[in-house]
Amino acid sequence: MNRNDKQTIIFGLLGACMVIVVLTLIIILGSIIVNGIPMLSWDFLTRSPEIDDTGAQTEGGIWGPLVGTFYLMMLVLGFAIPVGVLGTIFLVEYLGKYSWNRILWIVINNLAGVPSIVYGLLGVALFVGYLEFGLSLIAAGLTLGLMVLPVTMVATREALEAVPQSLRDASIALGATRWQTMRHHTIPYSMSGVLTGIILSMSRAAGETAPILVTGVVASAAIPNSLTDSFQAMPYYIYILVTQTANVDRAYAVAWGAALVLVGLVVGMNLVAIVIRKRYRKKYKW
Amino acid sequence: MVIPIPKIEVQDLNVYFEKNHALKNVDINIEEKEITAIIGPSGCGKSTFIRCVNRMNDLVLGCTVKGSVTVDGKDIYGKGVDAVEVRKRIGMVFQRPNPFPKSIFENIAYAPRLHGFVDEEGKHHSYNKQQLKEVVEWSLKRAALWEEVSDRLDKSAYNLSGGQQQRLCIARALAIKPEIILFDEPCSALDPIATAKIEDLLIDLKKDYTVLIVTHNMQQAARVADRTAYFYLGELIEFGETKQIFERPEKDLTEQYITGRMG
Ligand SMILES: Nc1ncnc2c1ncn2[C@@H]1O[C@H](COP(=O)(O)OP(=O)(O)OP(=O)(O)O)[C@@H](O)[C@H]1O
Ligand SMILES: [Mg+2]
Repeated sequence: MNRNDKQTIIFGLLGACMVIVVLTLIIILGSIIVNGIPMLSWDFLTRSPEIDDTGAQTEGGIWGPLVGTFYLMMLVLGFAIPVGVLGTIFLVEYLGKYSWNRILWIVINNLAGVPSIVYGLLGVALFVGYLEFGLSLIAAGLTLGLMVLPVTMVATREALEAVPQSLRDASIALGATRWQTMRHHTIPYSMSGVLTGIILSMSRAAGETAPILVTGVVASAAIPNSLTDSFQAMPYYIYILVTQTANVDRAYAVAWGAALVLVGLVVGMNLVAIVIRKRYRKKYKW
Repeated sequence: MVIPIPKIEVQDLNVYFEKNHALKNVDINIEEKEITAIIGPSGCGKSTFIRCVNRMNDLVLGCTVKGSVTVDGKDIYGKGVDAVEVRKRIGMVFQRPNPFPKSIFENIAYAPRLHGFVDEEGKHHSYNKQQLKEVVEWSLKRAALWEEVSDRLDKSAYNLSGGQQQRLCIARALAIKPEIILFDEPCSALDPIATAKIEDLLIDLKKDYTVLIVTHNMQQAARVADRTAYFYLGELIEFGETKQIFERPEKDLTEQYITGRMG
């Protein structure tokens, strides 16, 4: 076999893998769109799930789960993300040079890979039990918050470290304090990366089922009035529909519709992130 | 006869990075309104030395500075001296141009806006818009950049060439109205033409400022510096008039370096 034959074989293999990858993407997105679109209607978005004659929760729409997921994202945005971002800024900018910091980041990186049900377990123990929040929106929101904290922190750190040290030096040498240097330079320059991390964290919070399953999501819950109420959520509703035994065809159709909305939500947030990032990149580029 | 006091008086300066003894018993007097060049092989402590003058080493974890650095008769490492206040009076220009990713105007206006100014009666003011414009224009003119950029002050500093960016950084340092300016190999990333412009500027700045410049380029030291200090392995080997250092060095180590037999 000469060199050209080898090249032909390798390229053939690479090409085949590429085709598989692209086809997979097309199949995933295509089936969500094709199966989901027929379900979309104003009613579908604005009515909560209702029980049909067979006792299956396949009538109505997805309003309840949509609101629940929105609330969860807002809780993550309100609690975990500020703590994660600000804590990381302090860790990186003030304490980044200490050697224990490296070990800490190894731990944080590993925490980002811990399976979500483990966070669920922690949430049950800490928020539902120990802090006596019960099965509730707040317990689930904080559990998701714990789950995305490492992701937020890693993204924030990467964004901060992408800012060249020479810019910090320039600011310090001009007589700015370290805080002024952070506020006027490091933080604004790293904002695009930080925002990307925030959106990534929120999309993860929107999509996770396991942690909320054990901390307060309930299939037939009403729209929550307070933080201690139970709630519905999009991924959990899809799970309920897919595991339904009565009226299966209708259940699957609704599940596709809900999946399309959930994916649309996540993609929409990512688009917002891209726009914001572009804008910041244009404003601060080096 | 009045004996002028030196602008910067360094006594028994020792710097350690953890266990690494980077500067050893350095004594040197820097005269006002002169250019002093710091030369020596890589790693001999040139940057460490000039970073002691504006206390930039304070930010390096594990760095200990011992001894005294007196500026205008006041020890900047003395008790109760705020490093931030020290840096407000001393400009610094780095090896690679490091403008902020902002407009040319904002680059220069940053420090004045932050610090404001003190009038003759010692009262503190912030700059108003008009005054800020004046400072920016003055700084750019002083750094010989005004003509090239006056029509695009609102454009990003990153659209400038490397040499222009470095002059922008000089203008930015001038805007804090320092009396001393530190240059750490300011031309090492520039081509010969941009370098020549900076050298002309340095000689011009000498009229008003005390200049310390680290350089690897011995011709550059010979061209611009009034005095030259030669460092080797953390020690100040020889310090004197540039002409004397280059033509009649007293120490063998200096001669070896100057004649290119080392470094
Ligand atoms: N931030 C730092 N942390 C630890 N050690 C340092 C640091 N900066 C400098 N050193 C050490 O101090 C010594 C002097 O370094 P310095 O940067 O002052 O040399 P230099 O003469 O400026 O060299 P160059 O010509 O390569 O710039 C070196 O041994 C270097 O390893
Ligand atoms: Mg150096």
